[in-house]
Amino acid sequence: MPTVLVTGASRGLGREFCRQYAAEGWRVLATMRDPDAASPFDRDDIERYRLDVSDRDRILELARELEGTAIDLLVNNAGMWGGDEEEGFGRCSDALWMEELRVHVLGTMAMCEAFAPHVAASAQKRIVQISSGNGSLGREDNTSTYPYNSTKAALNMITRGMAFDLRGRGITVVALSPGYVATDMSGPDADLTPDESVSAMRTVIERLGPTDSGGFRRYTGEIYPW
Amino acid sequence: MSSVLITGASRGIGLELARDYAADGWRVHACCRRPETAAELTRFLEGRDARLHRLDVTEATDIAALAATLVPEPIDLLINNAGIFGGEQDFGAVDYDSWEQVWRTNVIAPYRVAEAFVPHVAASGLRCMAFVSSISGSIASVDEGGGYIYQSSKTGLNMVVANLARDLAGRGITVLALHPGWVRTDMGGADAPVSPEESIAGLRRVIAESGPERSGTLWDYRGERLPW
Repeated sequence: MPTVLVTGASRGLGREFCRQYAAEGWRVLATMRDPDAASPFDRDDIERYRLDVSDRDRILELARELEGTAIDLLVNNAGMWGGDEEEGFGRCSDALWMEELRVHVLGTMAMCEAFAPHVAASAQKRIVQISSGNGSLGREDNTSTYPYNSTKAALNMITRGMAFDLRGRGITVVALSPGYVATDMSGPDADLTPDESVSAMRTVIERLGPTDSGGFRRYTGEIYPW
Repeated sequence: MSSVLITGASRGIGLELARDYAADGWRVHACCRRPETAAELTRFLEGRDARLHRLDVTEATDIAALAATLVPEPIDLLINNAGIFGGEQDFGAVDYDSWEQVWRTNVIAPYRVAEAFVPHVAASGLRCMAFVSSISGSIASVDEGGGYIYQSSKTGLNMVVANLARDLAGRGITVLALHPGWVRTDMGGADAPVSPEESIAGLRRVIAESGPERSGTLWDYRGERLPW
């Protein structure tokens, strides 16, 4: 069976990715900041690893621990949001902005650099970045959150560049917007349940081919404007 | 006469812009990290309606002090030009410390300068904020790997521009992202195809032609709109 590694797997979309792939029989490597806390999963065959994606030494260490493990799908899901009060004009702090840069952009880049060999050794060879519609520069109805929007746009940019760098190794890398999902991060007023969003994204992921690499899509599969 | 404030004015595109606007009789606030070493700029600005200011755009206290110093002066045009390129940025060898520094300089700093000078720009006639970005930040224009640090920082800057356009529309401020071309400067190098004069003339034309209907978009120095 295929293997998937998911970052930020303790809750929200990350936990749901793990749950669904495990239910399909995949080997699931679930990374989270605190794997010693009570398991977020109701099954014990999901392997939990300690990982804070803003800790590059730990990323490299984990990549070494998993050396020789083929990873069919890497889901760079770990993300953060400062809240409406902390993201807007005249309110956002440098500290929040840099933290989001480290998690959304640098952390994702470091994961891709460290795990490209594992992914290249697999059958499916896919990397998925969980981005956001907020990262769309062309989106007319976007809201002006500064740290979040700019780091998600930057995430889309590095994804596009990586498509060229990883093409030779047969790796397909895309950015997906999960939609507005009811999780701890976005709150209860959202449009979708994690189950609905992740089910839809899994369908999109399953259909990805090399020509899709570098793209930015909605959870529905539709191309999202940059 | 109109007034312009330019960051990173001691060399490259910033220096050329400062000279060009000053020569045209604009009141110029030329900002740079070390005015005492900006000999060329100092020489040119002498005898003109121009002032040289110490400003490290990554220092919040510098920005606040300058904004306070210039109250209540209207600033027609704020040009956020200061920027850096960064270190190693090939896949597998990315310099993460450099990335943080570039992000602070190319994304957060211009946002902070804009934030501090909203009152000055809003009180002016022209009400324009221009950000020197790059086609390197255009995701749609990417056709090879590498360059991650610089490219992502300019994409982030473009997003700041798109956000500011929304947030400042109510105050009548036009916010533009500009691509100056690949210009023969310290950053662009001697082999760059575009002369500073050509770039500056083009950028000035784009700025002069732009009103609120263009706010929140990316333009190149030849007057073409670029895709995100």
